[in-house]
Amino acid sequence: MAEFLFEALGISKSFPGVMALQDVSLQMREASIHALLGENGAGKSTLIKIITGIHRPDAGELRLAGTPIELTSPRDAMAKRIGVVHQERNLIPRFSVGENIYLEQLAGRPLKPLRYPELYRQSRKWLDLLDLDVDPATPVSRLSVAKMQLVEIAKALALDSRVLLLDEPTASLTPHETVTLFKVLKRLRDDGVSMLFVSHKLEEVGELCDQVTVLRDGRNAAHSQPLQGLGRQDLVQLMIGRKEQIADWPARNFAAATPALALKGVSTILGHRDIDLTVKRGEILGLYGLVGAGRTELAKCIIGQFAVTEGSVEIQGKAVKIASVADAIHRHGIGYVSEDRKAEGLILMHSVLANAGITVWRNLGHHGLPLTDGRIRSRIEPFVRRLEVRTPSLAQLVGNLSGGNQQKISVAKWLAAGVKVLIVDEPSVGIDIKTKAYLHELLRELSDTGTAVLVITSDMPEMITLADRIAVMNDYRIEGTITNTRDYEEMSSRIMSLIHRVEAA
Amino acid sequence: MHPPSLQIMDISMPSDGPAAASLDASDTTLTPSPRVRRVRFYLTNEFGLVLLIIIFGAAFTFAVPRFLSHFNLFILGRTAAENIVIGFAMMVVVVTGGLDLSVGAIGVCAAMGGGWLMQVAGLPWPLAVIGGLLLGAALGFVNGWAVVRSGLHSFIITLASMSIFFGVMIFITRAQAFRSIPLSFASFAHIRYFGFISPLLLLAVVIMLALVYLYRLTALGREMLAAGARASAAELSGVRVKRVIILCHMLAGLLAGVAGLMLVARNDAAIPSMAGQLGQDWLLPAFLGPVLGGTLLSGGFVSPLGTLLGSFLLTLLTNGLLLLQIGQFWVEAVLGLLLLVAVLLDQARRSFIARRRMI
Amino acid sequence: MQFLSRYGRTDWFGPLLVTILAAIIVGSLSPSFLSAFNIQVLLLAVAINALVAYSQMIIIAIGEMNLSVGAIGGLAAISFAGMMQVWHMPILPAALLGILIGLLGGIINGVIISLTGISAFVITLASLSIYKGINLGITEAQPFYGIPNLVKHLGNAPFLGPLPWLIIPTAIVGFGLWLMLTRLPIGRCILAVGGNRHAAELSGISIRLTVIVAHALSGAIAALAGILLCARLQIGQPTIGDDWLILSFAAPVIGGAVLTGGHVSVGATTLGVVIVAIITEALVLFNIDPFLVQVVLGVLILWAVGINRLREFRLKPLRRA
Repeated sequence: MAEFLFEALGISKSFPGVMALQDVSLQMREASIHALLGENGAGKSTLIKIITGIHRPDAGELRLAGTPIELTSPRDAMAKRIGVVHQERNLIPRFSVGENIYLEQLAGRPLKPLRYPELYRQSRKWLDLLDLDVDPATPVSRLSVAKMQLVEIAKALALDSRVLLLDEPTASLTPHETVTLFKVLKRLRDDGVSMLFVSHKLEEVGELCDQVTVLRDGRNAAHSQPLQGLGRQDLVQLMIGRKEQIADWPARNFAAATPALALKGVSTILGHRDIDLTVKRGEILGLYGLVGAGRTELAKCIIGQFAVTEGSVEIQGKAVKIASVADAIHRHGIGYVSEDRKAEGLILMHSVLANAGITVWRNLGHHGLPLTDGRIRSRIEPFVRRLEVRTPSLAQLVGNLSGGNQQKISVAKWLAAGVKVLIVDEPSVGIDIKTKAYLHELLRELSDTGTAVLVITSDMPEMITLADRIAVMNDYRIEGTITNTRDYEEMSSRIMSLIHRVEAA
Repeated sequence: MHPPSLQIMDISMPSDGPAAASLDASDTTLTPSPRVRRVRFYLTNEFGLVLLIIIFGAAFTFAVPRFLSHFNLFILGRTAAENIVIGFAMMVVVVTGGLDLSVGAIGVCAAMGGGWLMQVAGLPWPLAVIGGLLLGAALGFVNGWAVVRSGLHSFIITLASMSIFFGVMIFITRAQAFRSIPLSFASFAHIRYFGFISPLLLLAVVIMLALVYLYRLTALGREMLAAGARASAAELSGVRVKRVIILCHMLAGLLAGVAGLMLVARNDAAIPSMAGQLGQDWLLPAFLGPVLGGTLLSGGFVSPLGTLLGSFLLTLLTNGLLLLQIGQFWVEAVLGLLLLVAVLLDQARRSFIARRRMI
Repeated sequence: MQFLSRYGRTDWFGPLLVTILAAIIVGSLSPSFLSAFNIQVLLLAVAINALVAYSQMIIIAIGEMNLSVGAIGGLAAISFAGMMQVWHMPILPAALLGILIGLLGGIINGVIISLTGISAFVITLASLSIYKGINLGITEAQPFYGIPNLVKHLGNAPFLGPLPWLIIPTAIVGFGLWLMLTRLPIGRCILAVGGNRHAAELSGISIRLTVIVAHALSGAIAALAGILLCARLQIGQPTIGDDWLILSFAAPVIGGAVLTGGHVSVGATTLGVVIVAIITEALVLFNIDPFLVQVVLGVLILWAVGINRLREFRLKPLRRA
């Protein structure tokens, strides 16, 4: 028996124009949980795709129990008993739990009739192992997200996986569900399964994992080290190459400032209740909460995409009724930078010019003049240049730019529109550290000019860097608002206690 | 206050001039190099289409001298005009990522409406034409409204509506044609400028120019493209996506009406069967033009000039094949093959460009 | 109440209710509706139209569409008739060759779609014109009249009571499809590909092969429908299949099929065909303009997609979409 159950040694992989992985190694022991850490874009997902046979490495080799192996397809990996739970849901919604668990078997024998009772009886075994009490005949579409997650794990286990990859399995789980999941994972470890746990929630990693591999810019920053003795700060330093820093910005006083946006006793069609929230002119208000707390949903109600059912929304002190997003932008000067840049923030197949200019077309078109590229360009180019967007030309398609530059464009279009209130949802998803710091400065300066900024983020250091005040949201309610002192330990414990007060109750 | 590392104070009031001028540093220059632009031009659909039109035109002239006769050129241009407008009618909906199977049905309904107004109601033909076009736009509105309200793909909605529109039209007209069309109206299809140019072709070109203006120089047109490329992003940027989509369908109905009335003028009659069962005969030319012209079926990109050239090419091929006496029945098979070849070539071209990262 | 909610969830319950109601209403207004002859006519229509609907249904199951169903059916029908008239081929080989032509037509669709990744809509629009063009090129729009008497007999006569011979192949195909889609891995693969293509691929299902198989089946079933219609009409009409498009979508959609794929029901689709047949028959019985059949089909589609949409909404909570 080899020392390591699964090894990836000296893996390199490049895509046209990008070196995704360079000489990356990772060694997994039997009966252990191995953390794979790294920022977005560090190469985690490429490595996972190589281990599961979706991509082939340009150099390096994979070894299973000491023997070199070649993986040419996901099927290959399955046959070698390497199972994976992907980040996105990979279940067939209308199929039963049992059939989803044994989906792999369908492909092998196309004409052998299925025997459902037998199939359900077998899948029971895996569900029991995970303490999942659902009838195998239930369609997956009726399960909660957490249960779907467990079904996916059952699906991977049903292949008799010895190596199990979990790609951000807790991303859509509540804290309580996460605890349950961890119990299951620890039991699997004790049964001898070797797991690779990908996450960027460092608290979870510390609680669960035995070894850690950290990737930074496509290289090993740490290679299969024992996790013992490594603190949060050490991990952060490995991930970003320096210590996590909270910008030392002076506190600002807004006692005299007038409110730019105020929600008073607002309830929404999406389920928010009694929301009281005020953002003053020139202030940055942070809205913190876990995934599923209803933050993005609240933003979408403020900008008029979903209806506010009770209470009042006030802009610059005047109660208003925002009927549509167009209304919010053109009448009330509210902009929204979406967390989902690719789906909601930008039009990737259109040019920089079209993306940055979309908010000013209406305005420029009013005068009856033809809306030429030149006129749009002269309106937006100052902003594109000010934000230092790196693009060969304004005609470049946004989809060809890096994540950081894309994010700059999604901010630039709101600057061009001259909004008075800007809602920024997860500003630093998928962008590198340097751009992130730059964006933070930018938002700070924007607020200095009098724009009210509402920042939504799950990234605690980001929140503590940016916000003047922090409102904490849980289960579609505001639990409390605290003034930010920029003391990380103090702020994070106060925020967590606001959330846990409810969890405990 | 901390010292800002970049000035953002004047951001809310940018001046129109100086900042846009002269850019020098190599990685921030905001215009593509001329060489890339030139190569890109030879890879455009429009260039390919012009080339094909010349090649086929030359081949037909060589094989059948009659091809270049004034009369044939006139017929060719007139038929092309109809196909071009039919292509436009589909194109303006394809822009949204949807499609409109009912263009044929709407076109015939508008034509029959116009015919009825001229013959039965006895209106002067300009009013009747306006009436027919309004009917087309109204039917387009019904499509757009149903698509937006139901949230379903326009395929299934317009599949149903083509059946309904056509069925109701046949029911009302009892499948009878209107044959007393005023000469002053019908003459549009029979006048020849310089012996070979049909006014209808000129009308098609004018419509193309109007569409170019719409998509390049108006907020509404740009919003149509944005809504088609990614509705959710457009919505969150302040585009009233639903309204825009309804307008696209109305425009499609209007253009289908134009094409229908062109056919009325050419036939000197409004005939319920002029676009086949349920107006299905229009489907192939309606898609061929935009697809040959490089309009993306997934929405968000449009080329009115490409559609014009594409529809012209398809008419040219039909005309030439008929002159060659290939047998009219095989023409449809050839057009189908053309569509197949066109989409395959288009995909090859796209992946070539993507590989070279030329766009 | 529990009974209702339990059956209300199934696809066939609603259409069955409508079928029974329609039969009762039409039957009570026009007694001749329930005559043996009339039922036989109804079943003849159902036998052919059900195949048309199945042929589209199998493509809807993978989340695509097939505009060339009618063209394939027409091409198979005139090949069948032509081979018997011109080459004096015996019935069975002619029918088998006809089905083979349909199978081939479907495979061509499937191969091009899965190899190029271009939308099925465009590819089948192109192949619709190609197949239809070949049809017209061969026949020059003239029908083949030389159909053997045995075929004419099978195409119209009953074998038991009002049950026509034509219902037999349809029943076999329907049962086979039901078995395939509920019990055989290949059928489950088809639904898995329609339900979540990415997940199916990661589970080792070959998307390419599944898409090709679905299109091949669709082509073969459309061809069978064309051949049966040829027998029913007693001539090889080149126009066979021209008006199948709307119907082919109407019946599966009435049967609760999800157009984005992953969910179809053979039984409910068959009931959809029956509903359409009863309404068409009623229009004839009451001397209502037959042109209105088209309108009725269109309205039925809209009504059915509306209902399906409502059912979906009920299954999904609004919050946290």
